[in-house]
Amino acid sequence: MTERVRIRVDDVEYEVDAGRTVLQALDDCGALFPERDGKRPEQTDALIPHYCWHPKLSIDGSCRLCQVEVRAGADAPPKLAIACNTPVSEGLVVDTKSETVAAARQGVMELLLINHPLDCPICDQAGECKLQDYAYTHGVDHARTREPRRKAKKRVDLGPTIVFDQERCILCRRCVRFCREVTGTGELGVFDRGDRSVLETFPDEPLDNAYSMNVADICPVGALTTKDFRFKMRVWFLEDVDGICTGCSRGCNVHIGVAKNAVQRYLPRRNDAVNGTWMCDDGRLSYHEIAREDRLTTCLVREQAIGEDSPQLRPASLDEAVAAVAARLRPLLDAKGPGVIAGIASAHASNEDLRAFKTFLDVLDVDTIGLAVARGDSDDLLVEAEKGANGAGARAVGFGALAPVADRIRGGGIEALIVLGHDLFADGSLDARALAGLDTVVAFDTHRSPVERVAHVVFPVRHAAEKDASYTNSAGIVQPVQRAVVPGPEVRDEGDFLQRIGAALGLAGFETETETEAESKAGDGAE
Amino acid sequence: MQKVPFTTGYLTAHCGDDAYGTLDGYKAEGGYETARRVLKKGTPEDLIETLKASGLQGRGGASFIAGQKWSFMPGAEDDTGPRYLVCNADESEPGSFKDRLLLERAPHLLLEGILLAAFAIRAEKTFLYVRGEYGEAIRVLTRAIEEARAGKVLGPRALGSRFAHDVVLVRGAGAYICGEETGLLESLEGKKGQPRKKPPYPAENGVFGRPTTVNNVETLCHVPHIVEKGADWFRGIGTAESPGNTLFGVSGHVVRPGLYELPLGTPLDEIVFEHAGGVAGGRKLKAVIPGGLSMAVLPAGQVDVPMANEFLRERQTALGTGGIIVMDDTTCMVRVACIITHFFREESCGQCTQCREGTGWMNRIVSRIERGEGRFEDLALLKDVCAKMEGKTICAFADAAAWPVQGLLRHFPQDFQSHVTHGQCPYPGSFVLA
Repeated sequence: MTERVRIRVDDVEYEVDAGRTVLQALDDCGALFPERDGKRPEQTDALIPHYCWHPKLSIDGSCRLCQVEVRAGADAPPKLAIACNTPVSEGLVVDTKSETVAAARQGVMELLLINHPLDCPICDQAGECKLQDYAYTHGVDHARTREPRRKAKKRVDLGPTIVFDQERCILCRRCVRFCREVTGTGELGVFDRGDRSVLETFPDEPLDNAYSMNVADICPVGALTTKDFRFKMRVWFLEDVDGICTGCSRGCNVHIGVAKNAVQRYLPRRNDAVNGTWMCDDGRLSYHEIAREDRLTTCLVREQAIGEDSPQLRPASLDEAVAAVAARLRPLLDAKGPGVIAGIASAHASNEDLRAFKTFLDVLDVDTIGLAVARGDSDDLLVEAEKGANGAGARAVGFGALAPVADRIRGGGIEALIVLGHDLFADGSLDARALAGLDTVVAFDTHRSPVERVAHVVFPVRHAAEKDASYTNSAGIVQPVQRAVVPGPEVRDEGDFLQRIGAALGLAGFETETETEAESKAGDGAE
Repeated sequence: MQKVPFTTGYLTAHCGDDAYGTLDGYKAEGGYETARRVLKKGTPEDLIETLKASGLQGRGGASFIAGQKWSFMPGAEDDTGPRYLVCNADESEPGSFKDRLLLERAPHLLLEGILLAAFAIRAEKTFLYVRGEYGEAIRVLTRAIEEARAGKVLGPRALGSRFAHDVVLVRGAGAYICGEETGLLESLEGKKGQPRKKPPYPAENGVFGRPTTVNNVETLCHVPHIVEKGADWFRGIGTAESPGNTLFGVSGHVVRPGLYELPLGTPLDEIVFEHAGGVAGGRKLKAVIPGGLSMAVLPAGQVDVPMANEFLRERQTALGTGGIIVMDDTTCMVRVACIITHFFREESCGQCTQCREGTGWMNRIVSRIERGEGRFEDLALLKDVCAKMEGKTICAFADAAAWPVQGLLRHFPQDFQSHVTHGQCPYPGSFVLA
């Protein structure tokens, strides 16, 4: 076990691991960002302000903002030192509020600002800028410079995802260390020296890696901004909702930035057990799928109109869709029993919906069940091969391999299929032709997909950002999400639809009015 | 080498002739006998004790007790891998040119010092990091190292002992900051010369992640003499707190600029007026920078001070590298400030906020005053910027940039005020800025 030592920071005593530095130790015990819960670090004042230090990067020690007075014991003389690189020791006393400390911080802030363009009114970082915040809390309120400010490059296109403003850069080198230590790609460096120092990419080497947008998160100022979010929205209009990324089974925690009932961005939300402080670019940009044009917004029922050669999927009301399912399944159940029905779950559904699906299938007595998941690239950092947030949750509920189900379908033993999600054809064991002969295919999906081609009834379901639910990641961690945006009125949870279908089929324990409906009647429009 | 006048002592005894130029010449003067004896029969512990007892202060500028520095290295019980000695020959302090003489004229004295120091800290290899502009020194040292290898002074059985040692010469590339010991280590590893934060200290985690001691050229050149003649002998020279001789490099407005090997504690006025022949052209002394550009200036009235830290400290300056820069009464102290701040602005590595921004700001303020665009409040502003830089950064560079400005403001405020009042420089005859 690691040795523990006691340190005292501004009259509060902490017991911390030996071998850590003051900032690390305070971060370990959750004291560095006292109001971290529910807020991004950018929104909360750190107990000890800092720029270059970051919990997931090596110690740099260059910004000098985290200077504090340390004493080896209560009676030792105070010494000004940087908290990020001062090792903790038994009895160490840290003063973060003395006049000396305030003066040192003020000095750093004044010097950081003498060459800063002070273009906050047109800077995208305004509102979540640590330079701006600390200038107010620790800085000076007037400039003593007579000299012109340093000129440098503006709007530098660093690569596919990031735009750089060299004048705003405070040279904390977090981004440099990120690219060296986390992604190992090393695209960024600080070139030249003294007050000519500038952050740059190497000539003809763009900043282009799978995690590049994290540099904008860790940039404490408006120097590095993402092309995706740049100038899209003033951050003070954003509401932050805790969510997870649904791109893969890692389930990276995100802050969902919401405005005008639309997701404006994902930012990684720190969870040391899941994603640390990072997320991949693909996952970060995956929020675009929430409001994409191919979202399903109404129920669809396949009907043949007069003059048509074949039946077509066309919009239908909720009641029509539920009735259509019942009208197809009831005769099949009565004639052949549940053995000809199969249920396939999805890694995109929440634990709650998966449990509802399982209950529905159990009550029907359907035992041909499986899980369809898409697989793709993975890496050593965060990206997992399973492309769906809740494969582990589906397995835990009882949905196993797809192969036995696919075999039964191909063998002709199945006449009706109820399927969640759009990964039905992902592993190649099933395709539209294999399903063409089925009497009934009922699909639940967020987006239009090839499954539609064989579906008879399609129900539009909610995205993870649109519900209060939970997802289980690949490590078995159950992660709650909160509803960030409200989808269209006909978009509902799988469980809600299944409840209605169960009731229409007259299944035991299924009521006509669902809890969700009652709740939405009571509180609609609140969000 | 260009002939510079110098007075000799034990360090520079043969720097005026060619006796130390070759391995044979050095051996003929008894060279390497001390190292041979210690490497064969001595112990690292005894050697460190001798050095500690001698009180030798490092001659690289910080005056840290050399024996103490050695003692920070892990002892014999640490056998996790190699450890290194680094000889800092990146002499880059403006006003300082003492190491150059030793490098060019006494290479084997340095190599003997290296062998002893390496033995004391159990280093298997020394990196000799030489200022890139020192072409002659590099030529001389390269030949001396080859001679020493061929003569089995270096190698798997150095001087016939069981101690293995080799010296690798590395050329610097012209950055002042690479003379700072951890900036040097970064440069040595092939990286940008930026000082490292401490901890870890070099003795724990130095070059290539291994325990390392960095010693200055002159420091190492004292070692063979101390070991040969004893700590008491060394203590008998200089002052009680600052023993031994040192090389004072005198430059500027003097009759005989040059190197003078004198005991520490020799009065500054004696060095300037007697050894260096006084102010040139019959003009009056105005100011002296006692220890290289980064030390605070002393006005003419305060040069009656013994050149040792315990005395210089009382006058708010320090010995530094012993580079004495003499300025006569035609010198404009604002121009001096311009040159000094320009130098430090150019040479700041740019890591730490205060140094990166402060050096530039100071230079811009001082240049504005020199142009006649200054304000009276600029004097207080300059002092404040100095205070914001001093003692708050990774290395001592920011201190080195702040101290001389503080000194000029302390002793010559009238020069600054006069620029502000008259809107121009009152010293038309002063040297011209490049």
